[in-house]
Amino acid sequence: MSAADISAEPVRRPFTGRRVRFGDLLLQALAGGAALGATVLVGLIVWKLIDGAHPALSKYGLGFVTRIAWNPVVGHELYGAGSFLFGTVITSFFALLVATPLAIGVALFLSELAPRVVQAPVTALVETLAAVPSVLVGLWGILVLGPALRTHIEPWLHSGLGWIPLFGTPSAAGASVFTAIIVLAIMILPIVSSISRELFLGVPSELKEGALALGTTRWEMVRGVVLPYSRGGIAAALILGLGRAMGEAIAVTQVIGGGVFIHWNLFGTGDTLGSKIAASYQGASTNLQSASLIYLGLILLVLSLAANIVAQWIVRRVSRQHGVTRGGHA
Amino acid sequence: MPKLGTSIRIISAVAAAALLAVVVAGTAGARSDATVSGAGSTFVSPLVAQWQQAVGGALGIELQYSPIGSGGGIAAITSRTVDFGASDAPLTSDQFNACNGCEQIPWALGGTSIMYNLPGVKNLLHMDGATLAKIFMGQITKWSDPAIASLNKGVSLPDTAITIAHRSDNSGTTYNLTDYLSSVSPSWKSQLGVGVAVNWPVGVGAKGSSGVAGVVASTPGAIGYADVAFALQNHLKYFAMKNNSGKFTTPGSRGILAAASSDQKPAADNSLSIVNPPKKFANAYPISTFTYVIVPLQTSKAADLKKLLFWAVTHGQTGTYTAKLRFVPLPKSVLVVDEKAISKIHS
Amino acid sequence: MTEHVLRVEGLARRRRVNHLMESLAWLAAVIAIAILAIVVWSVARKGWSELNLDLLTKSPIPFSLTNAPQGLSNAFAGTLVIVGVATLMALPVGILVAVYLNEFAPPSIRTGVGLVLDVLAGVPAIVVGIFVFVLLVAGSGQSGLKGAFALAILMLPFVARTTIEVLALVPNALREASLGLGIPQWRTTLSIVLPRAVGGILTGTVLAVARVAGETAPLLFTSSLVGNQTSWNPAHALQTIPVAIFELSESPDPKDHARAWAAGFILLLFILCASLTARWLATRNARKIAGR
Repeated sequence: MSAADISAEPVRRPFTGRRVRFGDLLLQALAGGAALGATVLVGLIVWKLIDGAHPALSKYGLGFVTRIAWNPVVGHELYGAGSFLFGTVITSFFALLVATPLAIGVALFLSELAPRVVQAPVTALVETLAAVPSVLVGLWGILVLGPALRTHIEPWLHSGLGWIPLFGTPSAAGASVFTAIIVLAIMILPIVSSISRELFLGVPSELKEGALALGTTRWEMVRGVVLPYSRGGIAAALILGLGRAMGEAIAVTQVIGGGVFIHWNLFGTGDTLGSKIAASYQGASTNLQSASLIYLGLILLVLSLAANIVAQWIVRRVSRQHGVTRGGHA
Repeated sequence: MPKLGTSIRIISAVAAAALLAVVVAGTAGARSDATVSGAGSTFVSPLVAQWQQAVGGALGIELQYSPIGSGGGIAAITSRTVDFGASDAPLTSDQFNACNGCEQIPWALGGTSIMYNLPGVKNLLHMDGATLAKIFMGQITKWSDPAIASLNKGVSLPDTAITIAHRSDNSGTTYNLTDYLSSVSPSWKSQLGVGVAVNWPVGVGAKGSSGVAGVVASTPGAIGYADVAFALQNHLKYFAMKNNSGKFTTPGSRGILAAASSDQKPAADNSLSIVNPPKKFANAYPISTFTYVIVPLQTSKAADLKKLLFWAVTHGQTGTYTAKLRFVPLPKSVLVVDEKAISKIHS
Repeated sequence: MTEHVLRVEGLARRRRVNHLMESLAWLAAVIAIAILAIVVWSVARKGWSELNLDLLTKSPIPFSLTNAPQGLSNAFAGTLVIVGVATLMALPVGILVAVYLNEFAPPSIRTGVGLVLDVLAGVPAIVVGIFVFVLLVAGSGQSGLKGAFALAILMLPFVARTTIEVLALVPNALREASLGLGIPQWRTTLSIVLPRAVGGILTGTVLAVARVAGETAPLLFTSSLVGNQTSWNPAHALQTIPVAIFELSESPDPKDHARAWAAGFILLLFILCASLTARWLATRNARKIAGR
């Protein structure tokens, strides 16, 4: 999935003066209708979400976004997105932090270092990781990764680096923000890596060979030519990965444990926007609670759209800078 | 038209056909029964699961049930997404209004066990309400705390940290527990209150009774709460709770039945409250509860629904279904009210 | 003399750094593959014990007090139905959108709708679930059709984008020749251009199917209040494999976990085969169309 432009091909219009047949009009109407439908769909999604969140929007306004509360007790109902927004930001940011070096490393490996024989299979394997459904990664997270982290990694990190607030007391249950971060990192690794790989392959070879001819080592060439050239594209890839991490609900809700608080301890439980929605929508017992959950979805939509649009904008700016027309990819 | 690799096409077609054939063949024998669908309480779901296996043959009805929590059940029947809802928490007047012509009918009687995971320590440790409230409020954090030790003299309790497992969804079992804790602890009552969900100060949230049982089962030092059937099914230990007469009782048929005798007359809305019975009910288990089915008075599925409910409150209460799960057959006084309520359902 | 030494030492250090970086890149690739291998291996090994015919042919029996055989036949049937219906919904619309963008639209609209498709692809699955819930389910109930609609929304950008790319690869000369012969544009598109693109369209569809076969979030809102008996009727809410795995994963019963692993194994196998097939088809067809 790339953020590439559609290739600029000459427009195929009916020749001027040619007889326009009914069939042409019908096809154009149907096809145009479908395109219009797709556009309307996006607007409809935004509108329906605002509509569904209306009771909470009118009651809480924008204060909802930063309030740290989720009290469903009837008579004392008070809802807010603050803790979940915090959780979304923290998990996505750290997942990106963990995944990026790995993804860039893999991309560099595949574009610069891998022997020809290995290139295609390894590329296929890394992109296959993207095909693993989130519910399976979550299942693996609950039953394999979570317990493993709880018994081995978390206590070790806590005993060694416990003075850093990030590595506080591990929660006794296997669920933790840390597990969620690792799960998210696994899920965004393929996206960031495949976009980066294409970027690195797209660096003009004259630039690379020129650097090598001047006597730089392979790493210096990468650091001096490939990375700066791809800087914009990598930024877009990172933001796309961030957007994907923020939107992931199922795998996160399976491993994160839940809770309405803000703390920095990665080994404790937490919650994110998507995870809260997935956990609570089915049992929402009052209209206000349902509307608040939909409000959470609205915030998530805004964040994802923002990430998406920023990434697109970066891509278009970079394309213009490099004067490259990006068509289909291998 | 470009050819598409004949071998690939053949292989995928054969694979798809094989999968389809297997699934269809295996399900070909399924009867098309009348379907009655419900959703709600996870507390009663073990019992409903036994009924599901029986009513197909006994009544020709396919009973569908989704254990999504009492809150979800009330919401589902209110929006008529299902034919009946199930909740351990009785409906409030607001919920009755929203449901628009529903009634609630007590259809099972059981007890909430307080489960714990403490390797090497015996089952049925002693616990009382005030201490339990402090534990759930996060004021007592270790098993070696003197409050727990004083209830269990002679038992060596490790220094393990206590992890609370509570419900993350709207739960009638939470209602039952908080109802009990509010009646034994004034500070619980003022700070957290009673509800299908409360602002838990500490602990890990899990979805459904099975979620809570799962957390307790996999976390040494954990304490959680669920219908006793879940504790039994997962081989979890649970506390013997101190009741108002000073006895330590367990969620078994004797304790639950004794608690049920503390409220024999359903209220006008058919609800009963048997939590923390007064001390003259010497053998009562203090965290027992009736659980309700919520039905619309007027529904197109009236005939099947009535058949099902009549069966559930009579046949469905016999030992075949209830004994192993520690549900207790409904008392006669409640049965009489139930039958009257069920006959009110019409199409 | 000193200069020579300095230069040689500098080179040695740079070579060391280079070697270190190359090793790190190799390490990154190994780790990435190892993660995939570990996840797939876990799923295969843990699902193996429950991988039997019962899984496909028997219904689930929750809270079974006997040891009667049970499986997830309702989930397998439901997934087949819902994903099938979703494909039937998304495929024509996706192709039509691509036809419009490639054959009729002026460049401004093409960029605009292209942006719309990219935005649609970036909407999280759970938000799509909420959307379909508010639009269709609230007040009227769940059904397999509504679940299929949610999945179709997720499939649409995939199908549209791959179809656009493959239509763009069909040489213009073909269109011009056909129009020059007097064949109307609509017939040109349907009988000449589209058939050339069938391979790519199929690839896009297979990829889209692989993507949504494992989607859980939209189905939680639209098709999750289900029964245990197997049903093929999309008008009712049907159980699906991802939702079944999700529910079983939170159960404390190890047998439930084993069934979840086994169903997950079959799902993963299907998705992996579909993805790899689509990728193979894609390279094959791209070469074919462009090369001709």
